[in-house]
Amino acid sequence: MGEPTDTWFVREILAHEQALMRFLHRNWRDHDEVGDLRQEIYVRVYEAAMRQPPDSPKSFLFATARNLLADRVRRQRIVSITAVGDLEQLNVLQDELEPARWLGGREALARLARALDRLPRRCREVVWLRRVEDLPQREIARRLGISEKTVEKHIAKGTRMMADHFYGGSEAGAKRDETQKTHARIRKTT
Amino acid sequence: MTEDHREIERTAAAWLAQRDAGGWSDCRQNALDAWLAESTAHRVAFLRLEAAWEETARLRTFAAGDASARMPARGEWSRSPYFASPIDGGHAAARHGRASPARRRRSRWQVLAGIAATLLIVVAIAGAFAWRDYAHVERGAWRTTPGVQQVVQLPDGSAATLGGDTVLRMTFSHSGRDLELAQGEVFFDVAHDTARPFVVRVNGYRVTAVGTRFDVRRGTDKLRVVVTRGLVRLQSARDPAAAATMLPAGSIATVTGGDVLVQHIPLDEARERLGWRDGYAVFHGTPLAEAIEEFNRYNARKIVIADPSLDALRVGGHFRLDNSAAFVRLMQAVFPIQAEQRGDRIVLSRRGAAKAAN
Repeated sequence: MGEPTDTWFVREILAHEQALMRFLHRNWRDHDEVGDLRQEIYVRVYEAAMRQPPDSPKSFLFATARNLLADRVRRQRIVSITAVGDLEQLNVLQDELEPARWLGGREALARLARALDRLPRRCREVVWLRRVEDLPQREIARRLGISEKTVEKHIAKGTRMMADHFYGGSEAGAKRDETQKTHARIRKTT
Repeated sequence: MTEDHREIERTAAAWLAQRDAGGWSDCRQNALDAWLAESTAHRVAFLRLEAAWEETARLRTFAAGDASARMPARGEWSRSPYFASPIDGGHAAARHGRASPARRRRSRWQVLAGIAATLLIVVAIAGAFAWRDYAHVERGAWRTTPGVQQVVQLPDGSAATLGGDTVLRMTFSHSGRDLELAQGEVFFDVAHDTARPFVVRVNGYRVTAVGTRFDVRRGTDKLRVVVTRGLVRLQSARDPAAAATMLPAGSIATVTGGDVLVQHIPLDEARERLGWRDGYAVFHGTPLAEAIEEFNRYNARKIVIADPSLDALRVGGHFRLDNSAAFVRLMQAVFPIQAEQRGDRIVLSRRGAAKAAN
Protein backbone atom coordinates (compact mmCIF):
# COMPACT_ATOMS: atom_id res chain seq x y z
CA MET A 1 0.00 0.00 0.00
CA GLY A 2 2.33 2.71 -1.15
CA GLU A 3 -0.31 5.07 -2.54
CA PRO A 4 -0.12 8.57 -1.04
CA THR A 5 -3.91 8.61 -0.67
CA ASP A 6 -3.68 5.41 1.40
CA THR A 7 -1.28 6.97 3.87
CA TRP A 8 -3.30 10.15 3.94
CA PHE A 9 -6.50 8.22 4.59
CA VAL A 10 -5.04 6.21 7.46
CA ARG A 11 -3.45 9.20 9.11
CA GLU A 12 -5.99 11.98 8.56
CA ILE A 13 -9.33 10.20 8.37
CA LEU A 14 -9.26 7.09 10.54
CA ALA A 15 -8.19 9.20 13.50
CA HIS A 16 -11.66 10.76 13.48
CA GLU A 17 -13.61 7.53 13.32
CA GLN A 18 -14.73 7.70 16.92
CA ALA A 19 -16.17 11.17 16.42
CA LEU A 20 -17.72 10.09 13.14
CA MET A 21 -19.39 7.07 14.72
CA ARG A 22 -20.71 9.20 17.53
CA PHE A 23 -22.10 11.60 14.98
CA LEU A 24 -23.74 8.84 12.95
CA HIS A 25 -25.24 7.16 15.99
CA ARG A 26 -26.65 10.44 17.16
CA ASN A 27 -28.08 11.41 13.82
CA TRP A 28 -29.25 8.21 12.26
CA ARG A 29 -32.21 6.33 13.56
CA ASP A 30 -31.37 2.91 12.28
CA HIS A 31 -28.17 1.90 14.04
CA ASP A 32 -27.81 -1.22 11.93
CA GLU A 33 -27.11 1.01 8.98
CA VAL A 34 -24.32 2.97 10.62
CA GLY A 35 -21.59 0.58 9.45
CA ASP A 36 -22.72 0.90 5.85
CA LEU A 37 -22.94 4.66 6.17
CA ARG A 38 -19.40 4.78 7.52
CA GLN A 39 -18.19 2.70 4.62
CA GLU A 40 -19.87 4.88 2.06
CA ILE A 41 -18.52 8.04 3.67
CA TYR A 42 -15.01 6.59 3.57
CA VAL A 43 -15.43 5.68 -0.09
CA ARG A 44 -16.57 9.20 -0.97
CA VAL A 45 -13.77 10.80 1.03
CA TYR A 46 -11.12 8.50 -0.41
CA GLU A 47 -12.26 9.03 -3.99
CA ALA A 48 -12.39 12.80 -3.55
CA ALA A 49 -8.91 12.79 -2.01
CA MET A 50 -7.52 10.85 -4.97
CA ARG A 51 -8.50 13.74 -7.20
CA GLN A 52 -7.52 16.45 -4.74
CA PRO A 53 -6.70 16.01 -1.04
CA PRO A 54 -8.85 18.43 0.96
CA ASP A 55 -7.16 21.15 3.00
CA SER A 56 -8.97 20.28 6.17
CA PRO A 57 -9.55 16.51 6.24
CA LYS A 58 -11.71 16.60 9.33
CA SER A 59 -14.18 19.22 8.11
CA PHE A 60 -14.28 17.45 4.77
CA LEU A 61 -15.06 14.14 6.45
CA PHE A 62 -17.95 15.62 8.39
CA ALA A 63 -19.23 17.61 5.45
CA THR A 64 -19.30 14.36 3.49
CA ALA A 65 -21.11 12.62 6.33
CA ARG A 66 -23.67 15.40 6.54
CA ASN A 67 -24.27 15.34 2.78
CA LEU A 68 -24.69 11.60 2.77
CA LEU A 69 -27.23 11.69 5.57
CA ALA A 70 -29.08 14.49 3.81
CA ASP A 71 -29.14 12.42 0.60
CA ARG A 72 -30.48 9.44 2.46
CA VAL A 73 -33.09 11.49 4.23
CA ARG A 74 -34.21 12.91 0.91
CA ARG A 75 -34.36 9.46 -0.62
CA GLN A 76 -36.33 8.04 2.26
CA ARG A 77 -38.65 11.02 2.30
CA ILE A 78 -38.57 10.67 6.03
CA VAL A 79 -36.85 13.12 8.22
CA SER A 80 -35.90 13.01 11.83
CA ILE A 81 -36.34 16.25 13.71
CA THR A 82 -33.29 15.80 15.86
CA ALA A 83 -31.24 14.85 12.85
CA VAL A 84 -31.93 18.09 11.10
CA GLY A 85 -31.07 20.04 14.21
CA ASP A 86 -27.79 18.26 14.77
CA LEU A 87 -26.74 18.29 11.17
CA GLU A 88 -26.42 22.01 11.32
CA GLN A 89 -24.12 22.17 14.28
CA LEU A 90 -21.04 20.08 14.05
CA ASN A 91 -18.88 22.15 16.34
CA VAL A 92 -19.54 19.59 19.05
CA LEU A 93 -16.50 17.87 17.69
CA GLN A 94 -13.94 20.51 18.46
CA ASP A 95 -12.71 18.85 21.60
CA GLU A 96 -11.37 15.93 19.58
CA LEU A 97 -7.64 15.40 19.51
CA GLU A 98 -5.58 16.24 16.47
CA PRO A 99 -4.51 13.16 14.46
CA ALA A 100 -0.81 13.38 15.34
CA ARG A 101 -1.58 13.52 19.03
CA TRP A 102 -4.31 10.95 18.71
CA LEU A 103 -2.10 8.43 16.97
CA GLY A 104 1.11 9.07 18.79
CA GLY A 105 0.33 9.44 22.42
CA ARG A 106 -0.41 7.49 25.49
CA GLU A 107 -4.11 7.82 24.76
CA ALA A 108 -3.62 5.65 21.70
CA LEU A 109 -1.83 2.99 23.74
CA ALA A 110 -4.61 3.00 26.28
CA ARG A 111 -7.17 2.60 23.51
CA LEU A 112 -5.22 -0.32 22.12
CA ALA A 113 -5.03 -1.99 25.50
CA ARG A 114 -8.75 -1.53 26.02
CA ALA A 115 -9.49 -2.77 22.51
CA LEU A 116 -7.43 -5.90 23.15
CA ASP A 117 -9.23 -6.49 26.42
CA ARG A 118 -12.54 -6.63 24.59
CA LEU A 119 -11.54 -9.55 22.39
CA PRO A 120 -12.76 -13.04 23.29
CA ARG A 121 -10.23 -14.99 25.37
CA ARG A 122 -8.65 -17.18 22.64
CA CYS A 123 -8.69 -14.43 20.09
CA ARG A 124 -6.99 -12.07 22.54
CA GLU A 125 -4.33 -14.66 23.24
CA VAL A 126 -3.64 -15.21 19.54
CA VAL A 127 -3.41 -11.49 18.79
CA TRP A 128 -1.05 -10.99 21.72
CA LEU A 129 1.27 -13.82 20.66
CA ARG A 130 1.29 -12.66 17.05
CA ARG A 131 1.62 -8.91 17.52
CA VAL A 132 3.49 -8.52 20.79
CA GLU A 133 5.57 -11.66 21.02
CA ASP A 134 5.92 -11.72 17.25
CA LEU A 135 5.45 -15.49 16.97
CA PRO A 136 4.57 -16.85 13.51
CA GLN A 137 1.04 -18.20 13.07
CA ARG A 138 2.38 -21.74 12.78
CA GLU A 139 4.16 -21.48 16.13
CA ILE A 140 1.05 -20.07 17.78
CA ALA A 141 -0.97 -23.02 16.49
CA ARG A 142 1.60 -25.43 17.91
CA ARG A 143 1.74 -23.70 21.25
CA LEU A 144 -2.01 -23.46 21.75
CA GLY A 145 -2.68 -26.89 20.25
CA ILE A 146 -5.08 -25.59 17.62
CA SER A 147 -4.97 -25.77 13.83
CA GLU A 148 -3.25 -23.12 11.73
CA LYS A 149 -6.53 -22.43 10.01
CA THR A 150 -8.10 -21.61 13.37
CA VAL A 151 -5.25 -19.25 14.21
CA GLU A 152 -5.81 -17.51 10.90
CA LYS A 153 -9.51 -17.17 11.72
CA HIS A 154 -8.76 -15.69 15.13
CA ILE A 155 -6.44 -13.20 13.50
CA ALA A 156 -9.05 -12.18 10.93
CA LYS A 157 -11.63 -11.72 13.66
CA GLY A 158 -9.16 -10.01 15.98
CA THR A 159 -8.20 -7.53 13.29
CA ARG A 160 -11.81 -6.55 12.71
CA MET A 161 -12.57 -6.17 16.39
CA MET A 162 -9.39 -4.24 17.07
CA ALA A 163 -10.26 -1.83 14.24
CA ASP A 164 -13.79 -1.30 15.57
CA HIS A 165 -12.68 -0.70 19.12
CA PHE A 166 -9.49 1.18 18.39
CA TYR A 167 -10.82 3.49 15.70
CA GLY A 168 -14.50 3.40 16.44
CA GLY A 169 -14.09 3.73 20.17
CA SER A 170 -16.13 2.23 22.95
CA GLU A 171 -19.53 3.48 21.94
CA ALA A 172 -19.28 2.17 18.39
CA GLY A 173 -22.29 -0.04 18.02
CA ALA A 174 -22.61 -0.55 21.74
CA LYS A 175 -24.57 2.23 23.38
CA ARG A 176 -27.38 4.09 21.88
CA ASP A 177 -27.78 7.72 22.41
CA GLU A 178 -30.57 8.63 24.78
CA THR A 179 -31.93 11.18 22.37
CA GLN A 180 -32.71 8.40 19.93
CA LYS A 181 -35.68 7.37 22.00
CA THR A 182 -37.29 10.73 21.64
CA HIS A 183 -36.84 10.84 17.90
CA ALA A 184 -39.92 11.65 16.00
CA ARG A 185 -40.49 10.97 12.37
CA ILE A 186 -42.52 13.10 10.12
CA ARG A 187 -43.37 12.57 6.50
CA LYS A 188 -42.25 15.17 4.11
CA THR A 189 -45.11 16.66 2.25
CA THR A 190 -43.21 16.99 -1.00
CA MET B 1 -22.77 1.18 -2.66
CA THR B 2 -24.94 -1.84 -2.31
CA GLU B 3 -22.40 -4.29 -0.94
CA ASP B 4 -22.80 -4.95 2.76
CA HIS B 5 -19.92 -3.48 4.73
CA ARG B 6 -19.71 -6.53 7.00
CA GLU B 7 -19.21 -8.81 4.05
CA ILE B 8 -16.46 -6.62 2.66
CA GLU B 9 -14.80 -6.37 6.04
CA ARG B 10 -14.83 -10.12 6.50
CA THR B 11 -13.19 -10.63 3.13
CA ALA B 12 -10.58 -7.92 3.83
CA ALA B 13 -9.79 -9.48 7.22
CA ALA B 14 -9.44 -12.92 5.64
CA TRP B 15 -6.92 -11.50 3.16
CA LEU B 16 -4.92 -9.88 5.92
CA ALA B 17 -4.87 -13.00 8.06
CA GLN B 18 -3.85 -15.12 5.11
CA ARG B 19 -1.04 -12.76 4.13
CA ASP B 20 0.08 -12.75 7.76
CA ALA B 21 0.23 -16.56 7.84
CA GLY B 22 3.37 -16.65 5.69
CA GLY B 23 3.90 -18.58 2.45
CA TRP B 24 2.53 -15.56 0.59
CA SER B 25 3.09 -15.82 -3.16
CA ASP B 26 3.06 -13.36 -6.06
CA CYS B 27 -0.01 -15.13 -7.28
CA ARG B 28 -1.86 -14.43 -4.01
CA GLN B 29 -0.64 -10.84 -4.07
CA ASN B 30 -2.04 -10.41 -7.59
CA ALA B 31 -5.36 -11.82 -6.47
CA LEU B 32 -5.40 -9.42 -3.52
CA ASP B 33 -4.49 -6.48 -5.77
CA ALA B 34 -7.33 -7.42 -8.09
CA TRP B 35 -9.79 -7.55 -5.20
CA LEU B 36 -8.59 -4.17 -3.94
CA ALA B 37 -8.90 -2.64 -7.38
CA GLU B 38 -12.47 -3.89 -7.72
CA SER B 39 -13.94 -1.08 -5.66
CA THR B 40 -12.92 1.74 -3.37
CA ALA B 41 -15.06 0.14 -0.67
CA HIS B 42 -12.73 -2.87 -0.71
CA ARG B 43 -9.70 -0.64 -0.57
CA VAL B 44 -10.79 1.53 2.34
CA ALA B 45 -11.94 -1.48 4.34
CA PHE B 46 -8.61 -3.19 3.81
CA LEU B 47 -6.63 -0.04 4.65
CA ARG B 48 -8.56 0.43 7.84
CA LEU B 49 -8.01 -3.13 9.04
CA GLU B 50 -4.38 -3.13 7.96
CA ALA B 51 -3.76 0.10 9.88
CA ALA B 52 -5.43 -1.30 13.00
CA TRP B 53 -3.36 -4.46 12.73
CA GLU B 54 -0.16 -2.40 12.42
CA GLU B 55 -1.20 -0.29 15.39
CA THR B 56 -1.73 -3.37 17.52
CA ALA B 57 2.00 -4.06 17.41
CA ARG B 58 2.46 -0.99 19.55
CA LEU B 59 1.23 -2.97 22.51
CA ARG B 60 4.85 -4.14 22.56
CA THR B 61 5.49 -1.07 24.64
CA PHE B 62 4.19 -3.04 27.55
CA ALA B 63 6.78 -5.70 26.88
CA ALA B 64 9.61 -3.36 25.88
CA GLY B 65 12.61 -3.97 28.04
CA ASP B 66 10.65 -6.19 30.38
CA ALA B 67 12.27 -9.60 30.65
CA SER B 68 9.26 -11.18 32.32
CA ALA B 69 6.91 -10.03 29.58
CA ARG B 70 3.80 -12.16 29.44
CA MET B 71 0.25 -11.47 28.50
CA PRO B 72 -1.41 -9.22 31.07
CA ALA B 73 -4.78 -10.29 32.40
CA ARG B 74 -7.74 -8.24 31.28
CA GLY B 75 -7.73 -4.83 32.91
CA GLU B 76 -4.29 -5.40 34.38
CA TRP B 77 -2.89 -2.71 32.08
CA SER B 78 -3.79 -0.03 34.57
CA ARG B 79 -0.87 -1.09 36.70
CA SER B 80 1.58 -0.44 33.88
CA PRO B 81 3.67 2.73 34.25
CA TYR B 82 2.19 3.96 30.96
CA PHE B 83 -1.14 4.25 32.63
CA ALA B 84 0.19 6.14 35.63
CA SER B 85 -1.74 9.29 34.75
CA PRO B 86 -5.48 9.15 34.24
CA ILE B 87 -6.24 8.57 30.60
CA ASP B 88 -9.83 9.62 30.53
CA GLY B 89 -12.78 9.78 32.83
CA GLY B 90 -14.57 6.79 31.36
CA HIS B 91 -11.63 4.54 31.77
CA ALA B 92 -10.99 5.62 35.34
CA ALA B 93 -14.51 4.59 36.21
CA ALA B 94 -14.05 1.25 34.48
CA ARG B 95 -10.89 0.69 36.48
CA HIS B 96 -12.76 1.33 39.66
CA GLY B 97 -15.19 -1.40 38.88
CA ARG B 98 -12.39 -3.90 38.49
CA ALA B 99 -10.64 -2.94 41.69
CA SER B 100 -11.73 -5.84 43.84
CA PRO B 101 -10.57 -8.78 41.67
CA ALA B 102 -7.28 -6.91 41.23
CA ARG B 103 -6.80 -6.78 44.98
CA ARG B 104 -7.56 -10.46 45.33
CA ARG B 105 -4.97 -11.18 42.70
CA ARG B 106 -2.41 -9.11 44.54
CA SER B 107 -2.81 -10.98 47.82
CA ARG B 108 -2.32 -14.26 45.99
CA TRP B 109 0.75 -12.64 44.49
CA GLN B 110 2.12 -11.91 47.94
CA VAL B 111 1.89 -15.56 48.87
CA LEU B 112 3.60 -16.50 45.65
CA ALA B 113 6.27 -13.91 46.29
CA GLY B 114 7.01 -15.54 49.66
CA ILE B 115 7.48 -18.94 48.04
CA ALA B 116 9.54 -17.37 45.32
CA ALA B 117 11.82 -15.70 47.86
CA THR B 118 12.52 -19.03 49.56
CA LEU B 119 13.19 -20.70 46.26
CA LEU B 120 15.45 -17.84 45.29
CA ILE B 121 17.82 -18.58 48.16
CA VAL B 122 18.12 -22.21 47.06
CA VAL B 123 18.60 -21.18 43.46
CA ALA B 124 21.17 -18.58 44.46
CA ILE B 125 23.40 -21.20 46.10
CA ALA B 126 23.17 -23.53 43.12
CA GLY B 127 23.51 -20.64 40.79
CA ALA B 128 26.75 -19.42 42.29
CA PHE B 129 28.49 -22.40 40.74
CA ALA B 130 27.01 -21.81 37.34
CA TRP B 131 27.71 -18.13 37.59
CA ARG B 132 30.90 -18.03 35.61
CA ASP B 133 29.23 -19.55 32.55
CA TYR B 134 26.16 -17.47 33.02
CA ALA B 135 28.05 -14.23 33.26
CA HIS B 136 29.61 -14.75 29.85
CA VAL B 137 29.77 -11.42 28.06
CA GLU B 138 30.43 -10.77 24.40
CA ARG B 139 32.18 -7.55 23.54
CA GLY B 140 33.00 -5.84 20.32
CA ALA B 141 33.86 -2.46 18.87
CA TRP B 142 33.77 -1.10 15.34
CA ARG B 143 35.07 2.07 13.76
CA THR B 144 34.44 3.24 10.21
CA THR B 145 36.45 5.84 8.33
CA PRO B 146 34.70 8.78 6.68
CA GLY B 147 32.88 7.78 3.54
CA VAL B 148 32.90 4.08 4.31
CA GLN B 149 29.80 2.16 5.30
CA GLN B 150 29.91 -1.16 7.06
CA VAL B 151 27.23 -3.70 7.86
CA VAL B 152 27.94 -5.58 11.09
CA GLN B 153 26.13 -8.79 12.02
CA LEU B 154 25.72 -8.82 15.78
CA PRO B 155 25.84 -12.12 17.71
CA ASP B 156 22.09 -12.07 18.43
CA GLY B 157 21.16 -11.92 14.76
CA SER B 158 20.58 -8.17 14.68
CA ALA B 159 22.26 -6.13 11.98
CA ALA B 160 23.88 -2.73 12.38
CA THR B 161 24.63 -0.57 9.35
CA LEU B 162 27.35 1.88 10.33
CA GLY B 163 27.59 5.17 8.48
CA GLY B 164 30.93 6.81 7.80
CA ASP B 165 33.06 8.10 10.66
CA THR B 166 31.19 6.08 13.25
CA VAL B 167 32.26 4.35 16.47
CA LEU B 168 30.05 1.64 17.96
CA ARG B 169 30.78 -0.53 21.01
CA MET B 170 28.90 -3.64 22.04
CA THR B 171 28.43 -5.47 25.35
CA PHE B 172 26.04 -8.42 25.11
CA SER B 173 25.24 -10.54 28.13
CA HIS B 174 22.53 -13.01 29.09
CA SER B 175 20.41 -10.21 30.46
CA GLY B 176 20.78 -7.46 27.96
CA ARG B 177 22.12 -6.18 24.69
CA ASP B 178 23.98 -2.94 25.29
CA LEU B 179 25.45 -0.79 22.59
CA GLU B 180 27.16 2.53 22.81
CA LEU B 181 27.20 4.93 19.91
CA ALA B 182 30.29 7.04 20.59
CA GLN B 183 30.01 8.99 17.35
CA GLY B 184 28.36 8.92 13.96
CA GLU B 185 25.20 7.15 12.83
CA VAL B 186 23.93 3.57 12.84
CA PHE B 187 20.81 1.94 11.46
CA PHE B 188 19.70 -1.05 13.51
CA ASP B 189 17.57 -3.97 12.39
CA VAL B 190 16.92 -5.61 15.73
CA ALA B 191 16.34 -9.33 16.19
CA HIS B 192 13.39 -10.07 18.42
CA ASP B 193 14.30 -11.16 21.94
CA THR B 194 12.05 -9.94 24.74
CA ALA B 195 14.33 -11.48 27.36
CA ARG B 196 17.22 -9.25 26.43
CA PRO B 197 16.36 -5.61 25.86
CA PHE B 198 18.26 -3.96 23.05
CA VAL B 199 19.59 -0.67 24.37
CA VAL B 200 21.65 1.95 22.57
CA ARG B 201 23.32 4.46 24.84
CA VAL B 202 24.08 7.76 23.20
CA ASN B 203 24.70 11.29 24.46
CA GLY B 204 23.26 10.53 27.89
CA TYR B 205 20.14 8.88 26.47
CA ARG B 206 18.96 5.29 26.32
CA VAL B 207 17.17 4.13 23.19
CA THR B 208 15.43 0.80 23.84
CA ALA B 209 13.92 -1.41 21.16
CA VAL B 210 12.04 -4.64 20.71
CA GLY B 211 12.00 -6.20 17.21
CA THR B 212 12.45 -2.91 15.49
CA ARG B 213 14.20 -0.95 12.78
CA PHE B 214 15.57 2.38 13.78
CA ASP B 215 18.40 4.78 13.20
CA VAL B 216 20.44 6.71 15.76
CA ARG B 217 22.66 9.60 14.86
CA ARG B 218 24.96 11.41 17.21
CA GLY B 219 25.76 14.96 16.12
CA THR B 220 28.07 17.38 17.85
CA ASP B 221 25.46 18.65 20.27
CA LYS B 222 22.41 16.71 19.30
CA LEU B 223 20.92 13.31 18.86
CA ARG B 224 18.43 12.06 16.32
CA VAL B 225 16.41 8.84 16.32
CA VAL B 226 14.36 7.73 13.30
CA VAL B 227 12.05 4.72 13.68
CA THR B 228 10.92 2.87 10.55
CA ARG B 229 9.36 -0.18 12.16
CA GLY B 230 8.05 -1.28 15.52
CA LEU B 231 8.47 0.81 18.60
CA VAL B 232 11.38 2.43 20.39
CA ARG B 233 11.64 3.90 23.86
CA LEU B 234 13.80 6.98 24.33
CA GLN B 235 14.82 7.80 27.85
CA SER B 236 17.32 10.06 29.52
CA ALA B 237 20.06 8.01 31.17
CA ARG B 238 21.15 10.89 33.37
CA ASP B 239 17.71 11.52 34.77
CA PRO B 240 15.95 8.22 35.31
CA ALA B 241 12.93 10.00 36.76
CA ALA B 242 12.26 11.78 33.47
CA ALA B 243 9.40 10.29 31.48
CA ALA B 244 10.30 8.00 28.60
CA THR B 245 9.23 9.01 25.13
CA MET B 246 7.64 6.25 23.06
CA LEU B 247 8.49 6.41 19.38
CA PRO B 248 6.30 4.35 17.05
CA ALA B 249 7.29 3.74 13.43
CA GLY B 250 7.32 6.98 11.49
CA SER B 251 8.71 9.05 14.36
CA ILE B 252 11.72 11.27 14.28
CA ALA B 253 12.98 12.39 17.66
CA THR B 254 15.53 15.16 17.89
CA VAL B 255 17.25 15.86 21.18
CA THR B 256 19.02 19.19 21.64
CA GLY B 257 20.10 20.29 25.08
CA GLY B 258 17.64 18.42 27.31
CA ASP B 259 14.75 18.94 24.92
CA VAL B 260 13.14 16.13 23.00
CA LEU B 261 11.17 17.04 19.92
CA VAL B 262 9.13 14.29 18.27
CA GLN B 263 7.69 14.52 14.76
CA HIS B 264 5.35 11.95 13.28
CA ILE B 265 5.78 11.65 9.55
CA PRO B 266 4.64 9.15 6.92
CA LEU B 267 6.75 5.99 6.88
CA ASP B 268 7.97 6.62 3.34
CA GLU B 269 9.32 9.97 4.41
CA ALA B 270 10.99 8.43 7.45
CA ARG B 271 12.72 5.89 5.24
CA GLU B 272 13.75 8.70 2.92
CA ARG B 273 15.60 10.34 5.80
CA LEU B 274 17.74 7.23 5.97
CA GLY B 275 18.88 7.56 2.37
CA TRP B 276 22.50 7.49 3.51
CA ARG B 277 22.36 3.70 3.50
CA ASP B 278 21.94 3.80 -0.26
CA GLY B 279 24.56 6.49 -0.65
CA TYR B 280 22.38 9.55 -1.04
CA ALA B 281 21.10 12.32 1.16
CA VAL B 282 17.66 13.88 1.06
CA PHE B 283 17.29 17.42 2.32
CA HIS B 284 14.07 19.33 2.88
CA GLY B 285 14.85 22.89 3.89
CA THR B 286 17.89 21.66 5.79
CA PRO B 287 20.34 24.30 7.08
CA LEU B 288 23.48 24.33 4.95
CA ALA B 289 25.69 23.62 7.96
CA GLU B 290 23.74 20.45 8.68
CA ALA B 291 23.84 19.32 5.05
CA ILE B 292 27.59 19.81 4.99
CA GLU B 293 27.99 17.83 8.19
CA GLU B 294 26.27 14.99 6.34
CA PHE B 295 28.65 15.20 3.37
CA ASN B 296 31.69 15.41 5.60
CA ARG B 297 30.75 12.17 7.25
CA TYR B 298 31.12 10.44 3.88
CA ASN B 299 34.04 12.23 2.32
CA ALA B 300 37.69 12.49 3.22
CA ARG B 301 37.78 15.92 1.62
CA LYS B 302 35.95 18.10 4.11
CA ILE B 303 33.80 21.07 3.28
CA VAL B 304 34.28 23.99 5.66
CA ILE B 305 32.11 27.08 5.99
CA ALA B 306 34.31 30.11 6.52
CA ASP B 307 31.48 32.60 6.84
CA PRO B 308 29.00 31.75 9.62
CA SER B 309 26.29 33.78 7.92
CA LEU B 310 26.06 30.96 5.37
CA ASP B 311 25.13 28.39 8.00
CA ALA B 312 21.48 29.24 7.91
CA LEU B 313 20.94 28.93 4.14
CA ARG B 314 18.36 26.25 3.45
CA VAL B 315 19.03 23.36 1.11
CA GLY B 316 16.62 20.89 -0.50
CA GLY B 317 16.91 17.96 -2.90
CA HIS B 318 18.49 14.54 -3.43
CA PHE B 319 22.28 14.34 -3.57
CA ARG B 320 24.80 11.57 -3.97
CA LEU B 321 26.86 11.58 -0.81
CA ASP B 322 30.04 10.50 -2.57
CA ASN B 323 29.88 13.44 -4.93
CA SER B 324 30.46 16.46 -2.74
CA ALA B 325 32.03 18.28 -5.69
CA ALA B 326 28.66 18.29 -7.47
CA PHE B 327 26.98 19.52 -4.32
CA VAL B 328 29.48 22.38 -3.96
CA ARG B 329 29.05 23.33 -7.63
CA LEU B 330 25.31 23.48 -7.18
CA MET B 331 25.62 25.58 -4.04
CA GLN B 332 27.76 28.04 -5.96
CA ALA B 333 25.20 28.22 -8.71
CA VAL B 334 22.19 28.95 -6.52
CA PHE B 335 23.65 30.80 -3.55
CA PRO B 336 26.04 33.73 -3.22
CA ILE B 337 28.79 31.29 -2.33
CA GLN B 338 32.29 30.82 -3.60
CA ALA B 339 34.28 27.67 -3.05
CA GLU B 340 38.01 27.45 -2.79
CA GLN B 341 40.23 24.40 -2.70
CA ARG B 342 42.73 24.58 0.18
CA GLY B 343 44.73 21.38 0.64
CA ASP B 344 42.26 18.64 1.46
CA ARG B 345 39.53 21.10 2.32
CA ILE B 346 36.91 22.95 0.35
CA VAL B 347 36.30 26.33 1.94
CA LEU B 348 32.99 28.09 1.35
CA SER B 349 32.72 31.82 1.78
CA ARG B 350 30.28 34.52 0.78
CA ARG B 351 30.85 35.78 -2.71
CA GLY B 352 32.35 39.28 -2.58
CA ALA B 353 30.21 42.28 -3.46
CA ALA B 354 32.31 42.96 -6.57
CA LYS B 355 31.92 39.38 -7.75
CA ALA B 356 28.22 39.30 -7.04
CA ALA B 357 27.81 42.25 -9.38
CA ASN B 358 29.47 40.35 -12.21
